Amino acid sequence: MVSPVVMHASSSESHEEAGKIDPKEIIFEHLGDGYGWEVPFNHHVRIPLPVILIGKDGFHCFLSSRIDHGQEYNDGGAIFKIAGKDSKYKGKIVQVMEDGSEYKPWDISITKNVCALFIAILLLLWSVWDVARWYKRNGNKAPRKITGAIEALIAFIYDGVIKPTLGDRSRKFAPFLLTVFFLILYLNLLGLLVIFPGGANVTGNIAVTLVLSIFTFLATNLFGTKHYWKEIFWPDVPLWLKFPIPIMPLIELFGVFTKPAALTVRLFANMLGGHMIVIVLTLLIFIFAVMGPAVTGGASVVSVLFSVFMILIDVLVSFIQAYVFTMLSTLFISFGQERGHDEHHKADEPQSASTSPALTNK
Amino acid sequence: MELFTPDFGLIFWMFVSVAILLFILYKWGWPVILKSIENRADLIDKGVEYAQNAKEQLMHAQEQSDKYLAEARRQQAEMLREADKMKNQIIEDARSAAQKEAQKVMDAAKLAIEQERKEAQLQFRNEVSSFALDIAAKVVRDQLRDEEAQTKLVGTLLDEMEKQN
Repeated sequence: MVSPVVMHASSSESHEEAGKIDPKEIIFEHLGDGYGWEVPFNHHVRIPLPVILIGKDGFHCFLSSRIDHGQEYNDGGAIFKIAGKDSKYKGKIVQVMEDGSEYKPWDISITKNVCALFIAILLLLWSVWDVARWYKRNGNKAPRKITGAIEALIAFIYDGVIKPTLGDRSRKFAPFLLTVFFLILYLNLLGLLVIFPGGANVTGNIAVTLVLSIFTFLATNLFGTKHYWKEIFWPDVPLWLKFPIPIMPLIELFGVFTKPAALTVRLFANMLGGHMIVIVLTLLIFIFAVMGPAVTGGASVVSVLFSVFMILIDVLVSFIQAYVFTMLSTLFISFGQERGHDEHHKADEPQSASTSPALTNK
Repeated sequence: MELFTPDFGLIFWMFVSVAILLFILYKWGWPVILKSIENRADLIDKGVEYAQNAKEQLMHAQEQSDKYLAEARRQQAEMLREADKMKNQIIEDARSAAQKEAQKVMDAAKLAIEQERKEAQLQFRNEVSSFALDIAAKVVRDQLRDEEAQTKLVGTLLDEMEKQN
């Protein structure tokens, strides 16, 4: 169901290059961000999205349709266009100065990814509102249908991940962790849809995963206990390891930053990989197209079957990645919540048991 | 490779929108849901506990009722036995009372009969003595027709009287 649309979109793209296929170009165009939103079966029309720029002469706001297909747009004296292939700002909107040079303004446009993010956020707000409303209306009855499914997911994360790890601190951090889980899950699943309102590779974009893990970083360190900081700057190791050269403190401090970095990269890489495989499988058809109809036909069948298979795997991966991100965030936050040695041991054992399989997986 | 160099606009919007989302859900979203889920879990726990208690109580009640039933049966048997005993007692009492009464009546009857007999005896004696006197008078009249005999008799009588005195 999904692959033919991908196929068509990429086929029309390939025609642009006068028969010559540049797989890298196509892959990165599909995985990257964009100022408009593609529609299926038509490469020339895009859903226009607002472009917001803070240029040298102030604020500019217009629709992305004005600068489609390399057009230049004059907004109150300032000329904007999407930078060409040979520019160092390739694919971004630049302001064309009077001397012909390109200047990159501060760009806070509602791009395809930002729009997809908004859609996921609205979806999440609706989900939470829907479940909360159920309780207001029906008291202690168990919800049914979609509300029940969302509630089951909430209970799965809250009772399965957050409570066993954070214990009595669950209530404090659960809102953040649940929000992160559902946001990633919705973004992942929306990304698998090929047409609007999906198709944007949001969680496969490093900016998005970076911001998410910065939130985890803040939650870990802003609410860190005294014991947590002591463990970093004055850990329980032989004295020569921390004085006069602070070897262990340096390593620990390094760990504080590598944890969110790992979070950033693993979600980004996993989601990017899933999308990339599907596109590459589809592109195979066009790469084989030069070898005659028989080969192309065979390749099409195989590619479509593989694409469908990969998309189904990606549905699973979408869930697993959201789950793993939440689980690791919970774990990192729980490191910041360590309280003394007695509790430390009690809390640590089940944690390490639950992490190890996930860490070895990816 | 824009994929690996984070884009400022996206970071900006991501930060702003996720912060707002977090704020909204932290204030009005998740706490309501989590509280409700926990409330319901508590309710279910309580329900299960209540059901278990009720089941136990029911079993207990069954035992209790069996015990009461046995007790009642025992009491019933006791009472029957008691009643039987009482019945016999009453019959016995009645019998002895009747006997006593009969005895009394018989004694009275005996007394009456005795009296009657004595009376009859007395009357008989009187009659016999009057008969005897009559006969004696007749005999005496026959014997004392002559003078001689009369004097002889008077003589003997006087002798007798003398002897007696």
